[in-house]
Amino acid sequence: MIQVENLRKVFRSPKIQSGFGGAVKSLFSREWDEKVAVDGISFEIKAGEIVGYLGPNGAGKSTTIKMVTGILTPTSGSCSVDGRIPYQNRIENARNIGVVFGQRTQLWWDLPLTETFGILRKMYRIPEAAWKDRITLLREVLGLDEFMGRTVRTLSLGQRMRADLAAALIHSPKVLYLDEPTIGLDIVVKDQIRQAIKNFRDENGTTVMLTTHDMGDIEELCPRILVIDAGRLIYDGSIDYLRETYGTMRSIHLSVREGHEVDLVLVKARLAQGGLSIDVSWENRTLVISHDRTKIDTVKLIPEALALVPSMDIRIVDTPVGEIIKRIYRDGMKKSPA
Amino acid sequence: MLKYYLSMYKDFVLQYWKTLLASKLNFFLGLGAFLVTQAGGILFLVFVFQAIPNLNGWTLDQLLFIYGFAQLPRGLDHLFADYLWLFSNVTIVHGEYDRYLLRPLSPLFQVIAERFQGDALGEIIVGIIILCISIPRLALPFSLLNIFLFLVTVLAGTVIYTSIKLFFASLAFWMKDSFPLLNIAYMFGDFAKYPETIYIRPVSFFLSFILPFSFTAFIPASWFLGRGSFAWTIGGTVIAAGASAAIALFTWKAGQKVYDGAGN
Repeated sequence: MIQVENLRKVFRSPKIQSGFGGAVKSLFSREWDEKVAVDGISFEIKAGEIVGYLGPNGAGKSTTIKMVTGILTPTSGSCSVDGRIPYQNRIENARNIGVVFGQRTQLWWDLPLTETFGILRKMYRIPEAAWKDRITLLREVLGLDEFMGRTVRTLSLGQRMRADLAAALIHSPKVLYLDEPTIGLDIVVKDQIRQAIKNFRDENGTTVMLTTHDMGDIEELCPRILVIDAGRLIYDGSIDYLRETYGTMRSIHLSVREGHEVDLVLVKARLAQGGLSIDVSWENRTLVISHDRTKIDTVKLIPEALALVPSMDIRIVDTPVGEIIKRIYRDGMKKSPA
Repeated sequence: MLKYYLSMYKDFVLQYWKTLLASKLNFFLGLGAFLVTQAGGILFLVFVFQAIPNLNGWTLDQLLFIYGFAQLPRGLDHLFADYLWLFSNVTIVHGEYDRYLLRPLSPLFQVIAERFQGDALGEIIVGIIILCISIPRLALPFSLLNIFLFLVTVLAGTVIYTSIKLFFASLAFWMKDSFPLLNIAYMFGDFAKYPETIYIRPVSFFLSFILPFSFTAFIPASWFLGRGSFAWTIGGTVIAAGASAAIALFTWKAGQKVYDGAGN
């Protein structure tokens, strides 16, 4: 459905000079600042897939989204969406896609939501019956009823985001792009948004590409993720593989009885007898023993630890996906296996 | 295609009226404010003529006709293309331009359709009233041709106004905020309410060939007052409208390219 090949975008902006005179001068200036936002990215997304597009701030996520949605023209390389080249057939492509930018609304501030849907029905030439069905469904799934009559201006962030998502789905797009769709939302609304995306994909086979910083979005929605950094794709694969390969650190948390002190050096020395790397730390009356579960058998480690430390409770924690992604952002892909 | 766009525009305007009627007070305040401003302008003319009954060969009635004519293109542009003001200093700065590119409509159409400025009816109503007073007093000849030429020149004048605004608003693609320039340019529109011959030559040249506001009022109005050749008054107005529109649209297109290249 979405094919991206060697996509590259270089921004070129005149060197900004200060003041009004400077602004006029920069109109004619021949000096440019160049910035490579996206640096040769290739990937393919199949119909019906939900793919998470991740990367630290400024990595080029939004720029990629803007190219595949037809807002920007690539400097080189190509992309096609459902057989169309978005930046060459912008209008046709626009009929085919739905877009939600979490940071700003796509809707008309002064229109009540009901009227907005009316305008969209005409704009996308949606048949009356299909439009009615869709609205009924969206009202239900996204709980729009409480604010259908209000203008977009007066909606709270959570309401507005639900409205934006509904508006992006009203014309049954084949592809849905979501740029940080759950940013700033409370848990209930986040869940509503995620459920709506899932429902919609399951019923219509919609292809979904979403950028997010919320690991909950990733874990609940995206079996596959793409990670970019500094404009380059550094990971394309399943979230499970990432977990298996890079998330092998496990920690055992032992709550220690009141009145007992733990000698960290001793514990570490005893547990790491085989010369294997084990980390121990002490925090809030809890002893944390971190180890690589592919190298050290957790089941064997636990009785040893319990024998050493008088514990009240035990918890076993695997590296959260967020931690893994954070490490990839920080250290890059090669250095990251921990 | 045109039908689709017209019907979309109708929908946007209808929506606008619905919101407006929901806050009647706002609407009448806006309308009232414009009526008062306009009344001030006319009183100024009347006072001037009480002191000097003949200004550079122009009578009060002739000046009123030019003044009334000037209100129509200005008001119509104000009515339909008011959002260009916001475009010049908000849309690019706040990154709102992207959303136009995500809809299956021309971005320029969407910017224009973003607002239908009912306040402008104040200007248009005042213009019509002044024309209704001055035309009988001047005993201007009514003919089908004149009515047709009147409509053509009012339309051309509107195109000139909107084109000048569009040109300066488009500079926002380069400057992010082109409001100050647009504001200065628009102020020259006020000059068009008075006969060009009262200005020194560089000013009248500027108003004919650089920012052709003279073609939105004084020049076409002179034709109906029996001054000036057909080629210059009517022909010139139509050509000025065509040229302004071409330059403005070209600048808009070039601006879109720059936007694409510079990112935001």
